[in-house]
Amino acid sequence: MEHRGRIAVLMTPPVLWLVLLFLLPMAIMALFSFRAGTFGAERDIFTLEHYREFFQNAGFQRLLWQSAVTALLTSAFSILLAYPIAYFLAFRARSMQLTLLTILIVPAWTSYLLRILAWKLILGSNGLLNSFLLSAGLIEEAAPILLYSRAAVVVTLVYVWIPFVTLPIFSALQRIDRSLLEAAADLGCAPWEVFLRVTLPLSLPGVVAGFFFVFIPTLGEWVTPSFVGGVEGTMYGNLIQDQFVRALNWPLGSLMSLVMLILVIVQIFIFSRVVRLSDLAGV
Amino acid sequence: MRRRDLLSPGFIYYALLTLFLYAPILLLILFSFNDGRSLTFPLKGFTLKWYEELLGARELLDALGNSLVLGLASSVVATALGTLAAIGIARFNFPGRSAFLAVAAMPMVIPYVVLGVALLILFKTINPDAPLSLWTVGVGHVVINIPYAMLIVASRLAGFEANLEEAAMDLGLTYWGTLMRVTLPISAPAILSAFLSSFTTSFDEFAVSFFLIGTESTLPIYLYSQLRFPSRLPLVVTLAALVMIGSVLIVVFAEWLRRVGQPAARKGDL
Amino acid sequence: MKNDRRVRVWRIAGLLLVIALLVAACGGSAAPVATEAPATQAPPAEPTGPLVLLEWSGYELPEFWQPFADRYPDAQVDFAFFAEDAEAFAKVQTGFQTDLVHPCSSWWKLYVDNGLVQPIDTSRLSNWSGVRDELAVEGQFDGQQYFVPWDWGYESILVRTDKVTEIPDAWADLWDPQYAGHVALWDSGESNHAMTALSLGFDPWNTTPEQNEAIKQKLIDIKPNLVTYWVDFTEVPLLLSSGDAWVVANAWPDAYVTLLDEEVPVEYIVPEEGRLGWVCGYGISSKAKNVDLAYEYINAAIAPESMAALSNAYAYGASNADALPLTDENYVKLLQLDQPNLKARTVFFQSLTTEQRELFTSQWDDVKAAP
Repeated sequence: MEHRGRIAVLMTPPVLWLVLLFLLPMAIMALFSFRAGTFGAERDIFTLEHYREFFQNAGFQRLLWQSAVTALLTSAFSILLAYPIAYFLAFRARSMQLTLLTILIVPAWTSYLLRILAWKLILGSNGLLNSFLLSAGLIEEAAPILLYSRAAVVVTLVYVWIPFVTLPIFSALQRIDRSLLEAAADLGCAPWEVFLRVTLPLSLPGVVAGFFFVFIPTLGEWVTPSFVGGVEGTMYGNLIQDQFVRALNWPLGSLMSLVMLILVIVQIFIFSRVVRLSDLAGV
Repeated sequence: MRRRDLLSPGFIYYALLTLFLYAPILLLILFSFNDGRSLTFPLKGFTLKWYEELLGARELLDALGNSLVLGLASSVVATALGTLAAIGIARFNFPGRSAFLAVAAMPMVIPYVVLGVALLILFKTINPDAPLSLWTVGVGHVVINIPYAMLIVASRLAGFEANLEEAAMDLGLTYWGTLMRVTLPISAPAILSAFLSSFTTSFDEFAVSFFLIGTESTLPIYLYSQLRFPSRLPLVVTLAALVMIGSVLIVVFAEWLRRVGQPAARKGDL
Repeated sequence: MKNDRRVRVWRIAGLLLVIALLVAACGGSAAPVATEAPATQAPPAEPTGPLVLLEWSGYELPEFWQPFADRYPDAQVDFAFFAEDAEAFAKVQTGFQTDLVHPCSSWWKLYVDNGLVQPIDTSRLSNWSGVRDELAVEGQFDGQQYFVPWDWGYESILVRTDKVTEIPDAWADLWDPQYAGHVALWDSGESNHAMTALSLGFDPWNTTPEQNEAIKQKLIDIKPNLVTYWVDFTEVPLLLSSGDAWVVANAWPDAYVTLLDEEVPVEYIVPEEGRLGWVCGYGISSKAKNVDLAYEYINAAIAPESMAALSNAYAYGASNADALPLTDENYVKLLQLDQPNLKARTVFFQSLTTEQRELFTSQWDDVKAAP
């Protein structure tokens, strides 16, 4: 292996940090799924009870599937909406790039909880949307539109994620060699063809990164569903959070998280057969 | 940007979307002046009393300060570690490279609640009497942010040829000198991007913080616990409004600084 | 030139960092109160602080413990906040170092059984005589007083009287189809178990497995009536004042008075099966480092002035009946804070065992996961 010294210097700090402060706690967590209880004597007893409990529960599995679909929709819409912005920033904004990007990020610095609350203000029965529609005579009675449903969860999450998804796409678009685009144009491609055949494919690693950026945390989401999801918007993450915070059933919570983790890893693995894993990072 | 770019579909779309992103927050700012305890329409009258009350809310301001320091510190570490890792995987081949990539990406996959509990158990196992504090929260935040930092920087690094670095070394720079003078400057936007991303995440992070914090408070934790009392909500909203206004001011200031530093000839473009 | 721009980027970044650090420094130093020398008057026998409390957020207001602040102006008091009992319990169980805890009665036995709190010698509390007996007895286990009750209140139904054609008067009415799509329930397995048990005529703390099944099914049956589950209490006034919900269950008194302040037409029902009641109180951690200070704090908290401040702030009940003369008359009347026999119309939460708690939560999860 060439350049051993350099690799050692570069990689040691991140590797050390991740092994000690990530892999180790995760192993402890995995072990927890086999424990009988969270505290005290129960903790030292090992059992497969929770595994049995989980795999026999059709409701949990159905919820997991539903959450995956919600996460998929959220990611897809986020990317669709963020891509044009990233494109604009990378190709048209020139000197204002950084500023415009920061302006986009700034809303993310306001509390996530409060932004969702504000969103409810707009959509609630007493909210802006209803007042507007009522005064315009479009509806007769106020009702919480787009609130308390699965759709509301998707819309709210897309709203939260757009600034974040823009970053990797922007990064990827930025590093596309402009001369490639000029060459394509010189060879007779119309602008839309240049986009479809050169820009888009080259930006794909950023898009994929953005996709997983959103998909994975959304799968484990619980705050947004509890605020705007209503009854049908409950997600798998709500149940996990319940186990850790209310039920204090850490073994079951650990198990449920493991299941989710394995699902995602499998997805990434399958994906990496189609797109090389290293392309995810664009390296 | 030229003047006519302002009317381009790209900018219009950007403007509309940004407005859409800001709308709820502008609404919050509106309510911070509302003379009522409930966040519903109709508005009840203009008042500055929430702002006054806020200035006396020591715990709130402490929490804000803590979040800022925590965000900065953890972002610096996460960005540094992520950048090191990015350079390592982007430029070198070594056994375990893909394994490292997979592991480094994993914190993105873990629900933060789980990560929080896992780290808590770890700390308590090592030393049951050691106090939890902002440091322990910081550790958690760094773990969360390393993958994003790494991916953002690596994405950028992949774009420019290693040739540039080789050329610099041929011209006499050491490897480390090359990193400082060529690689890092070229990746600067990505590194800044990674830093911003980490800071944003850390500033608003709740789940991991909750389990790893001691008697100090971060802003999200304080906010979330305040939500329990309906009568405190206007105060919380007012704080959000202030954070918002403060952030915008910082951005405007930075932009002004940037303009001031630009040579006169460039002032022809917007 | 490109190079200049890049350097500029670094300069701006550096500047931003500096500014942020300045703001942080200013924010941090806006902390006036005591970080100075320990108490000089009436020095307790052991190290003086900081006194650490694991406390519900909103209860740190100085008027709730004024006598302590007056007596020990130099003592530092550190609050660690939580929003739910389970969070607090988890923290203490995993070794969080605190002097005082403030859980609610359904958790009290768990704290005692796990050795997390020490017995309290009530003769050291000069204000103890004013504390209501029927609340004090809840905090007694094995003949010892482990918890000093402090705040109490109801869980009941709040109704928008102008939106409904018929005002509900029982828990069972929540299932009435006339409220379809306008009922909101608390996202709490324990509370929903209790109120459903009451609506079916069961004793919530002693249900048989068949009764538990019936309760679970009933909670699945109510889903079409629901608009949403609410998670934190600020949602309750919002749901009702916006009109998204007409009937909200397991609401606490502070929501009621907030809505009255806002002049929203609501009524706080007393269901015929009985209101639910809660009482919360202070316990001294078995690993407390400042036991003497802890006693002083508790005594200050149950002093009539402090307790009246609580009632006047949140319309909650005070465990010390001597606080009543100092309490806002309106609140006393509205919420019957002066009733002599609290348990006559109110079913107070009993301590749950670990098995019960796990059962209620897993049943609630099944309800939420059901289509």
